[in-house]
Amino acid sequence: MGARGKKKIWTMAEYLILAVILLFLLFPLYWVLMTSFKTNMEAYRFPPTMVPEAPNVNSYISLFTEDNFFFIYYKNNFIVSGITAAVTLVLAVMSGYALSRFKIRWNRWIVAAFLSAQMFPIVSRMISLYDLLGKIHLINTRAGLILALTAAMLPFAITLMASFFDGIPRELEEAAIVDGAGRIQTLFQIVMPLVKSGMVAVGIYAFLMTWDDYLHAVTLIQNDSLRTLSAGVALRYLGELSYDWSKVNTISVVGILPIMFLFFFFQKYMVKGLVAGAVKG
Amino acid sequence: MGKHAQVRVPMTARERNDRIFAGALLLPSVLITVIFILVPVADSVIKSFLDFKVKNIISGTPGSWNHFGNYIKLFSSGRLGMAVAHTLVFVAAVVIAQFILGMILALILNSDIRFTRFVRSIMMAPWVVPTIISGLIWMWMYQPQYGLLKYLVGIFSGGKMTDFAILNDPNTALLGITIAALWKQIPLTTLLLVSGLTNVSADLLEAATIDGANGVKRFVYITIPSIMSVIKITVSMAIIENFKQFPLFWTMTGGGPDNATTTLAILSYREAFVSNNLGSGAAVTTVWMLLMIVVVFVYNRVFKDVEMN
Repeated sequence: MGARGKKKIWTMAEYLILAVILLFLLFPLYWVLMTSFKTNMEAYRFPPTMVPEAPNVNSYISLFTEDNFFFIYYKNNFIVSGITAAVTLVLAVMSGYALSRFKIRWNRWIVAAFLSAQMFPIVSRMISLYDLLGKIHLINTRAGLILALTAAMLPFAITLMASFFDGIPRELEEAAIVDGAGRIQTLFQIVMPLVKSGMVAVGIYAFLMTWDDYLHAVTLIQNDSLRTLSAGVALRYLGELSYDWSKVNTISVVGILPIMFLFFFFQKYMVKGLVAGAVKG
Repeated sequence: MGKHAQVRVPMTARERNDRIFAGALLLPSVLITVIFILVPVADSVIKSFLDFKVKNIISGTPGSWNHFGNYIKLFSSGRLGMAVAHTLVFVAAVVIAQFILGMILALILNSDIRFTRFVRSIMMAPWVVPTIISGLIWMWMYQPQYGLLKYLVGIFSGGKMTDFAILNDPNTALLGITIAALWKQIPLTTLLLVSGLTNVSADLLEAATIDGANGVKRFVYITIPSIMSVIKITVSMAIIENFKQFPLFWTMTGGGPDNATTTLAILSYREAFVSNNLGSGAAVTTVWMLLMIVVVFVYNRVFKDVEMN
């Protein structure tokens, strides 16, 4: 066999492996979407049907009309994730700038503290926060949950943000300071516009990771009307015995959608940011 | 001498102001990290040596020293050793499989085949799916009566295995969760590895080809060393993430069947928040942290040696 034939076989093998891995990654999403359009009768049929025979949106309608709990969880998740992302972003810009620009003596210790904070198991913190937040009356409040989540997001957000500031030449700030601009003015008017894409990456990252939270919400919130999506869904819809699978799949679809839109809309920034932060940081 | 003296020059007013400004910018983040992460972690280490239950919180009484009672009980009942074993098996399996599959996918996406940009974009979809929901998705795939996996296994085994329920069998439950974890994590690993691969010097690869190195040799001697730093970070992120994995286990099996998927995360949560014995849960998390420190230390050591060679 000639070199060309060999190369052809290689390329075909590459496409084949690519197809198999993509099938593994994408088929489950297709499956959930399809199941959400089936009736429970059809969802419980064996062997399963690949495409719904009688596609319908009954489980969506019942989710939207009967179950307002789901939307309370949903709304709470938006509030908690949105505020956490905003607070994380502001703090990460401040701290990232400080770590990138001013090489003070205890920088190394601060960075070490942030890095180690990323490693500690969440349960370990929860055991103590459950007690501590109770003492300062922040248990069962959104504020307590948001603060705990912000703390969880900060270490990575700060290192990511610092790597973006590292990419901005210092000369710009020095010129601004020579022109008589104050430090805060320099940060806000000169430097921040240059790291916009980094800020988008950090903000979306924090939103995405907070949207995913389960453990914080499930331990720090006991009041059903304050629960977030993951905790609420797990506690309310995952009964021990009989699952309403059409509804569970509908919940999955509705729970994924906003985050999927957000990600694909800002994908360019996200990917660049994550790669920059992980590879440089 | 002149240079040396310059270092000792007292701080100028501007330098001092810089410090104050930097300190002010860092203060809120440092405070939040200390109050909500470092203090709680230290506090839970202390609690691990105390007899401390939920009733202590309710009545406001501090825990009492119990002579390593939490540790002794966990060790002697065999639960701790079992959870450590499950955690290590899970972490090793996910990290290794994820690295191999991610690397294969990254190499394909970095070659000159078509649609790579489109694939790079859509392959990220599982990564953004919330963990709890990815658990639900796979529970539905694995569903014991009507699940797709049962159907597929039935077909591929020629009708021999008709009641395959991966999560209900202690021998396969951990595998079931491993697959779900891989599904969610392969995209990010691939993304990071692809970004490393695109930076590998094409000149170097070409020179090696001219010198007669085949594909495997080029991969081992040029590609891998060039992306070592990316590999190191990707793998260490995966190790930490999977060490901490909780929601997948909790929703998919809750640690069962017969404790086959009880990891340190599950054991600590169950001790602390189901049995309401916070001291015992804290003992598990303390062992867990020590184990993580050891693993990360060994990992860094190994990588240092590799980089030196």
